[in-house]
Amino acid sequence: MADHTVTVGTQPVQVPTGSLLVEAAHRAGVDIQQPCGGQGRCGRCAVLVTEGTVRRRSTLRLSADDIAAGYALACQSVVEGDVSITVLPQEKIERRLKTDLTAAEVKVPAGYDPQAVQTVRRVALTLAPPNMDDQRDDWSRLLTALRAEGIEAARASLAQLRQLGRTLREGDWQVTAVLDTEAWDCPDCPARLIDLKPDHVAADAPLWGVAVDIGTTTVTLWLVNLLTGEVRAQVAEYNRQIERGEDVISRIIYATKNSRNGDHGQLRDLVLETINGLLETACKRVLAQPTDVMKATISGNSTMMHLLLDIPAESIRLSPFVTAVNDVPTLTGREVGLNIHPDATVDCLPGVASYVGADITAGVLSSGLEDVEAVTLFIDIGTNGETVLGNNEWLITCACSAGPAFEGSGVINGMRATSGAIEEVWINSDTYEPTYRVIFSDKPVGICGSGLIALMAEMLLTGVIDKGGNINLTLPTPRVRTGEHGPEYVVAWGSETAHGRDIAITRVDIDNLIRAKAAIYAGFTVLAERMGIPLETAEQVLVGGSFGKYINVEKAVEIGLLPDMPWEHFHFLGNTSVRGAYLGLLDKQARAQIRAIASRMTYIELSADNTFYEAFTSALFLPHTDLSRFPSVQPAVTT
Amino acid sequence: MPVEIPKDSWEGTVRTVTLGATSAEGGTRSRTITVGGQKTLPFMNFEQTAPNRPVVAVEIKERRPTDWSPLLLDVWGDAANDPAAWAKQAEAVGADLLVLALTLTDADGAPTTPQAAVAATKAVLGASALPLIVFGPGQAEADNELLLAVAEATKGERLALGICEDKNYRTIVAAALANDHCVTARTPMDVNLAKQLNILIHDMGLPLDRILMDPTTGALGYGIEYGYSVMERLRLAALQGDAMTQLPMLVTPGFEAWKTKESKVGQDVPEAWGDWAERAINWETLTAVALVESGADIVVLRHPESVRRIHKAIDELTISPEMA
Repeated sequence: MADHTVTVGTQPVQVPTGSLLVEAAHRAGVDIQQPCGGQGRCGRCAVLVTEGTVRRRSTLRLSADDIAAGYALACQSVVEGDVSITVLPQEKIERRLKTDLTAAEVKVPAGYDPQAVQTVRRVALTLAPPNMDDQRDDWSRLLTALRAEGIEAARASLAQLRQLGRTLREGDWQVTAVLDTEAWDCPDCPARLIDLKPDHVAADAPLWGVAVDIGTTTVTLWLVNLLTGEVRAQVAEYNRQIERGEDVISRIIYATKNSRNGDHGQLRDLVLETINGLLETACKRVLAQPTDVMKATISGNSTMMHLLLDIPAESIRLSPFVTAVNDVPTLTGREVGLNIHPDATVDCLPGVASYVGADITAGVLSSGLEDVEAVTLFIDIGTNGETVLGNNEWLITCACSAGPAFEGSGVINGMRATSGAIEEVWINSDTYEPTYRVIFSDKPVGICGSGLIALMAEMLLTGVIDKGGNINLTLPTPRVRTGEHGPEYVVAWGSETAHGRDIAITRVDIDNLIRAKAAIYAGFTVLAERMGIPLETAEQVLVGGSFGKYINVEKAVEIGLLPDMPWEHFHFLGNTSVRGAYLGLLDKQARAQIRAIASRMTYIELSADNTFYEAFTSALFLPHTDLSRFPSVQPAVTT
Repeated sequence: MPVEIPKDSWEGTVRTVTLGATSAEGGTRSRTITVGGQKTLPFMNFEQTAPNRPVVAVEIKERRPTDWSPLLLDVWGDAANDPAAWAKQAEAVGADLLVLALTLTDADGAPTTPQAAVAATKAVLGASALPLIVFGPGQAEADNELLLAVAEATKGERLALGICEDKNYRTIVAAALANDHCVTARTPMDVNLAKQLNILIHDMGLPLDRILMDPTTGALGYGIEYGYSVMERLRLAALQGDAMTQLPMLVTPGFEAWKTKESKVGQDVPEAWGDWAERAINWETLTAVALVESGADIVVLRHPESVRRIHKAIDELTISPEMA
C-alpha cells in the first residue's frame, strides 16, 4: 500500500494510505487526546490541516466554518495523500463545540434614554438662600428648584424632613436630590424623594439600581448604572433558605409551622441575608456603598416573593392554590429590609398564579416571546421548571416541581456554575476514563448543572448507566464502585481535585436528575397536548436557567431534558428572570409590559391535570420510554 | 333483522414465549408451554381465536412454608414437605406449569445456599415433566446468587427466572442469556415502568421472546381494579403496535389473594363472611379470573381447587363462536 508523508508541525512521518491522523501524529511523537475514545463524538481532537487534504469520515463536531478553515477531527480523518497538519496547543483544543450554546450577552437596550423611561432621576439643585425678604420654608424652596428641573410635585417622609434643613445648609444651598418620579401603582402621584445630599455630584457619577432574581435555589443580583443602563456587576449565590427545604412546598410548610410557633420571618431573614450579602459583594466591585442603590426591581416565583415580604404563603400550597397578592405595591428598602438606601424604591414584579410568578413574566419579557409570530417554547430549567408555549397571540404556561438538581443542589458533589465547577464531561467509550472542563480553574471542586447534564449523557452513551440510570458495576474500571451512598461513578480522583476528595456522581444523584428532567419534559409535552399541537410545531426553543455561560444542547437532548429538535432551533438565554427584572428596572414601559404579559398568560394547573403523571413516568427514563420521540438519540442508545 | 357485530382489527400482535425445552430442544421436559400470540383483546373469539390459552401455574416451595395459610398446608398435606412430591401433586391437580419460589432461609434460619436451591430445582425437574419457573426469595443479593446457580445447573431447560426488577435485573438476565432461559420482569402497576424494564432487559441482548412481564396485581378488594386497568392498557398498547408492551403477562393472584385478611383469618370474623375455606378459595379464584379476563397469560395459583375452577373458567371463555 502506498505511503504518504504526513507533516505534523515540522516533523514528517511516513504512513500507509488509510491511516488516521491520530496514528500519524502518534508516529510523529505527538499524542492527541481523544476523550471519547476516538469515536468522533467529542470533537476534542480537532487539528488544522494546513496543506493537502484528508478524507473526513465524520464532521459531526465541526461547523461549516471550521471545515472551511481547515479543521479536521484527527480520529476521524483518513490520510489519502501527503498532508501537513498543525496540532493546536491544549488551550486551543479546548474550544467550544457548535452544540455548546452560549448565553446571550447582556446588552443595554438600544436607545436607552433614562430621561424618557427611567423613573428614578437624580438632579443637581441650586436653591436660593433664604433672607429677610424671602422667608419661604425650606421644603418650598426645594420644590421650586425641582420645578425648574421639570419635577412638578414631590413628597418627602418625616425622616427626610427632619434632615432637610441641615442638608440644605451643609451644602450651602447646593444639593443633589434623587427622586422616584413615577410609581407604576400611582402614576399621577407626586415624585417621591429618595435621597438628598449636600453638594453636587458629577453629572456622570453612576446612579445605582439593582435587578434581583430570587430563585428557590439560586439568588442572582445585577448592579446597574441607571444613567447608562450598563450592568456593572453580576453576582449569584445559593438562597440561604435551602437549609429550610429544597422546594417551595417544604419552605411554605416550614414558614407556616414556624409562625405558628411564634417565630415569624425566619425565611425572610435568610433570603434577606442572601440578597444583602450579594449586594455588598457587588457594590465592593464598583467601590460603591449598598446605600447608594436607589432602586431595586425584584423578580422571583410567587412563593419567594411572599417569603421575602413575610406575607403568609400557606394558601399557595393548599387547594385552590391562590396567592395573597400577585401585584405587590411599590415599597421601600426600609420596609422590605434590604440594605439599599432606606427610601429606595423596591419594585416587586407581578406574577400570574401561585406557581407561575414574576420570574416567568419577567422571563417572557426578556426572551422576546410575546413579540414573535413563530410558536415558541420557553423553558426555565430551574427548581420549579416553568414552561411557556406561545407567540404574540397566545401564551400558555405551567410549572412542574423539578427540584434543584440542575442548579447543582441536592446532588452530593453538585455546585453552582462558578469557579471550580466541572461544566463539561466526556467519557472514553473503551476505557470509561472521563475528561472534563472546569470553570476558571485546573482543579475541580464539584459539578454544576451543565456538567451534570453532560455527565449523564456521556454515561448513557458509553454504557456506564443504563436507560433506567442504574450504574453498571460490572464494568472493568475502578471508577464504578459502591460508595457510602450506594453505586457511583468517580469523575475526578481526590488527587485531581481542589479539596482532595473524590468527585463522584451517585445513583441517588442520577435519580434526582432523572426526576428533574422528567418533570421538565413532561411539563412541555402536557402544554403541547393541551394546545393540541405536536411539540415539533414550536419553531424555536428558548432555554433559560442558571447554567453559567454555556449549556450543551446536544447532551440535554440525549438525556431527554430538551425535545429532540435541530440544534439550531435552541437558544440559550441564561437567567431570563434577572434579565426581565433588569429591563423592568431600566424602563417603565418594559415594567408595564411585564404586567400586560401577566394578564395575558393562561395558566395550566398540572396538579389538576391527569395527563401529567403519565407524561412524567414515561419521561422517567433515558432519554424517554418512547424512544421514537428522540430519533436523533436512538442510534446511539440502541444496542 | 340480523345484527352485524363490529369487529376490530389491530396492528400489533403479542409475542409468543415458550417455556420449557424437550429433549430434542436440549432440555428434559415432556412438553413445552407457549403463551401469547394474541391479535385481539382477550376472549374476543368472534374476532380472532387466540392461538394460545391462558395457563395456570402452581406455586410450590423448596421446603414447607411457615407463612402460608393452614388451609393451603392442609390441602397439600405431606407433599408440601418435599419439592419433588409437591411438584408431582401439583401436576396431578392440573398445573400447566410450576413455579418454584425459593425461600430466603432454610428451616434453621440459615441463608438458603446455591447448592440447596439447585438441588430443589433438580428435584422438581426430576419429579415432574412440566415447564418450570423459578423465583428467587425476593431479596436482590440472594436472588442473584441463587438464580445464577440454578440457571447454570439447568442450562437448556428454558426455565423462566424471576423476579427481575428495575433496580435488580442485570445478573438474572445475564444468567438467563448465558444458559438459554427466560425471565419474568416485575414492575409496580404502571404501563411506563413495565415498558422501561422490558427495554432495559432487551438492551442487555435478551430477545423479547424470552421475557414475560409481570405488571403486579392486587387481590380482589386490594387494588385489583388498578392492576386490571394497567394490564388492559398494556394489552391495548401492544395491539396498537407498541413493541415494548407486546409481551405475555404473568401475574401472581395466589400470592396476593392469600395475603388478604379474608383468606388468612378464620376466627373472629363476621358470620356473614361464611365458610372460611370456601371464602379463601373464592378470593383466589375471583382474583385470578378477573386477571385472566384482563389479559393475563399465566396466573400463578396456590390452591388445587382454584386451579380446577380457573381451568373451567378458561374453558368456558375460550369456546369458539361456532361451538357456542
